[in-house]
Amino acid sequence: MWRKLFGGAERRRALKGLDQEIHDHIDREVEVNLARGMTPDEARRQARLAFGNVTLVQEDARAAWTIRALEQSRQDVRYALRTLRKSPGFALVTILTLSFGIGANTAIYTLIDALMLRSLPVPHPDRLLQISMTAGGARESINSDSLSYPVVRVLAEQRDLFEGVGGFSTFTFDAGPPDNVRRTPGAFVTGAFYEAMGLVPAAGRLFTPADDQRDAPLVAVITYGFWERAFARDPRIIGQPYVVNGRPVTIVGVTPPGFTGAHVGWVADLTLPASAVAQVRPELSSLLGPGNIWLRVLARPRSGTSLEQATAALTVRWPQLSPAGVAPTFTAERRAGIETARFTLRPGATGWTNLRDLFRRPLYVLMTLVGLVMLIACANVAGLLLARATTRQKEIAIRLALGAGRGRIVRQLLTESMLLSLASGVLGLYLAGFLSRYLVDVLSTGPLQVTFDLRATSQILAFVLVLAVATALVFGLAPAWQATARRQIDGLRGATGHSLRGRLLPAVVAAQVALCLMLLIGAGLFIQTLHNLRSVNAGFDHDGVLIVDVAGKRPLTFYQEALDTLERLPGVVAASVSTNTPLSGAGWSEKVTIDGRTQEREPAFVAVSPKYLETLGVALRRGRMFSASDQGPRATVAIVNERFAERYFSRQDPLGQHFTATVGQPEVDLEIVGVVSDVIANDLRAAAPPTVYVPYFQVQVMSQNFSTLQVRATGSLALLSDAIRRALQGQMAGTPVEVRLLSAQVDSASVRERLVTTLATGLGIVALALASIGLYGLLACNVAARSKEIGIRVALGAKPRNVIMLVLRQGVGLVIAGLVIGVAGAAALSRLVEGMLFGLTPLDPMTFITVSALLAAVALVASGIPARRATRVDPLVSIRAE
Amino acid sequence: MSTRQGRAAQRKSEEERLALLQGTLDLLILRTLRLGPAHGHAIVKAIESGSDDVLLVEQGSLYPALHRLIERGWITFDDGTSENNRRAKFYRLTAKGRKQLDIETSRWDRLAGAIARILRPAAQE
Repeated sequence: MWRKLFGGAERRRALKGLDQEIHDHIDREVEVNLARGMTPDEARRQARLAFGNVTLVQEDARAAWTIRALEQSRQDVRYALRTLRKSPGFALVTILTLSFGIGANTAIYTLIDALMLRSLPVPHPDRLLQISMTAGGARESINSDSLSYPVVRVLAEQRDLFEGVGGFSTFTFDAGPPDNVRRTPGAFVTGAFYEAMGLVPAAGRLFTPADDQRDAPLVAVITYGFWERAFARDPRIIGQPYVVNGRPVTIVGVTPPGFTGAHVGWVADLTLPASAVAQVRPELSSLLGPGNIWLRVLARPRSGTSLEQATAALTVRWPQLSPAGVAPTFTAERRAGIETARFTLRPGATGWTNLRDLFRRPLYVLMTLVGLVMLIACANVAGLLLARATTRQKEIAIRLALGAGRGRIVRQLLTESMLLSLASGVLGLYLAGFLSRYLVDVLSTGPLQVTFDLRATSQILAFVLVLAVATALVFGLAPAWQATARRQIDGLRGATGHSLRGRLLPAVVAAQVALCLMLLIGAGLFIQTLHNLRSVNAGFDHDGVLIVDVAGKRPLTFYQEALDTLERLPGVVAASVSTNTPLSGAGWSEKVTIDGRTQEREPAFVAVSPKYLETLGVALRRGRMFSASDQGPRATVAIVNERFAERYFSRQDPLGQHFTATVGQPEVDLEIVGVVSDVIANDLRAAAPPTVYVPYFQVQVMSQNFSTLQVRATGSLALLSDAIRRALQGQMAGTPVEVRLLSAQVDSASVRERLVTTLATGLGIVALALASIGLYGLLACNVAARSKEIGIRVALGAKPRNVIMLVLRQGVGLVIAGLVIGVAGAAALSRLVEGMLFGLTPLDPMTFITVSALLAAVALVASGIPARRATRVDPLVSIRAE
Repeated sequence: MSTRQGRAAQRKSEEERLALLQGTLDLLILRTLRLGPAHGHAIVKAIESGSDDVLLVEQGSLYPALHRLIERGWITFDDGTSENNRRAKFYRLTAKGRKQLDIETSRWDRLAGAIARILRPAAQE
């Protein structure tokens, strides 16, 4: 059949040796001419003359094959277009169904491609290696993708192994002239970063290790996109000073177009050498010591150095190099951990991003779900085609009878399918654009702003093309085969009834019901998970609360003045400052000593101003909140949550009890003056940890550099946000005032669940619609085909109830078969998402039962309509129909 | 010039020979192969000699025509060895081609008859 369809083998065999054949032909003619008495030269000349243009002959011989094939395809396409134009409804439904499936698949694939598959736009990305480090410990070894600055530097010095080793970490800068300071996404990179990337600058120069030295002049590299947007690609900005975090920084170069850094999903418009952190954010200069692991590392080995060789060399050299990674303050255990550390090298062509860990599983789950939808869509269209083939049976039978080959007709029908499928591919690509942008918007409500280049790359176009062609084969081949296999004579007689009792169409509909049920159960499990997460008692009330970012080293008086300013604004109910807020992703913990015993587990600490509980709506269970009377340079009181009280003071009244902690000072004695309800820390799925609250204005801790202000307000939060920005700008010169909603921060904690749930629900609804259309279509066709039989039954005295049962029986049978298969499939698949569920098991009986019942109900309605129509069959009309 | 005259002495002069009518080459190939398998050169020679050297075949145009016929399934070919031990493709008629030859022959007869009637109307009576 394939040979008939495409005829490639025969063509190859015939054309093979054509050259030689022509050559021999001319030789023979030469011999004939010689025999006639010509001179050898003349004989050859005449032979060539008689033959004509050899190249042209060869081309014509080839063309003899292709012209007819093309001709046939053109005919097929023309014919297909004509047929489709005659049934625009069918074409429209098919294209819409398929384009939705293709669009959804392409959108998810686009995201997977952007997040996980796409190589960095650098020369030979396949040679990049990502270096991670496993530091040994007494209890457990910790593998980390992040290394400390001194370690990255000693790795970069191994020039005989690597052309470059670059560390990078994302950072947000306040950049621009004083009258127009903007938060600019950027990165700190180590000196050899651009050598590792192997980039050639679009303008100026990129960093060298000399730029990454303490006290080196402050320099910056910008992306091509930033150059375009902020400077209109003006080459004169190279060498000009630019203000970053209040410091003049010289822009020395521009990276080539397309490169936005090595952290996938984050556009690092402005890049500074890591050593510059000491000047632009002095309070963070400890990042340059060995105690902080914060740089992700990509290395480019020298050509000829393999991954294994580099790994082995690093293992051998590390004992000599390891002192760089150790600080004098390290405990013996931590020092030993660094000294015995091992390096793991992995292919690093696709860069690095924490988004992968966060979204890999959700994206795979979504890919599976859209795959199911695609199958349902294919099944639907296959069903439509089967039904259509029945109505076209006469036409096909006539063509077969007139001598058309079966292969020829299958090809004709497949051409129709291909046309439909390719049209859907185009529309689907368009839909995918919207859908993937929407998905990125959802991703961006997570803990990180996400920026992807979502333009259709050649890889995505190839994906769509393959998907469309595969789809056309899946939904088109079986119906085409079946349509041409039918006994011709039946078709000519107009006996259209039998085909529907064939096995194919009912099987397709049952499969649809099964796939749909699997999808809906998945959606149901995720909806329930999201609902459970939302109804977690988080211990605070996020509605009506704004957060103002005031990160940076600031005097304590700044916060007091800022709070005073905020409380004077209209609509503000309460304002507070704290080192961190629930679900912010940040945290601070310390050792505490109770009754002379230092506790092994460190409780969480939060430094808060007196109105914090009121602002966040946290309930005070016992005792009192901090007040203005808690003054003095050192903290003397603390408030604990219920969990802390239970764990450490379960046998006595916690109020009035004492414990000691350092809170950034020499150890202080703290008296518990109040107990508050538990508040979730950073994970909605985990219980609140034991927590200690200390008075903000009486402690000095690192976390204060990351403080936020909180404001509870009534009325329009948007208007208040503007008012806050204006009111605080005077006190925060050089920094744009960022105001956020606390509820957005809470939402960001469930971004994965929301991503999957929204999409699964949407897909589930579409799948339900498709499956019920499929069922309805099947039964409606069936009723039409059996109208004669039904007419006879009615004429013989069948009651409407009997007729309804006749039709329903088939529908119900299919649905039950589909449901059984679907439940089994869902049970098998749902175990794979167990880790993503919350508050229910993957076999949650409620979800399984509810969803099955829902599907059954919809299916009953879908079968009910054709069944009712069957009762209206007029026996006189239907029996005489022929 | 001398060879040309010599050649003309053996064969009909160029002026006397006729170029093939469009589309008749296919028919002649089918007819020739009816007698048995033949390679390309032999087919040309058979057509030329069969027409007492009246028909002039541009030898090269034979090959596209052969491929056209294979593609339509009217002829097929076997790889074999020719008289002087050269490898050659031997073309032969298929069953479909045999049927087609009958159709084409009767079509040609009707065409030739019709044209003859127009050109010599007197001959009818």
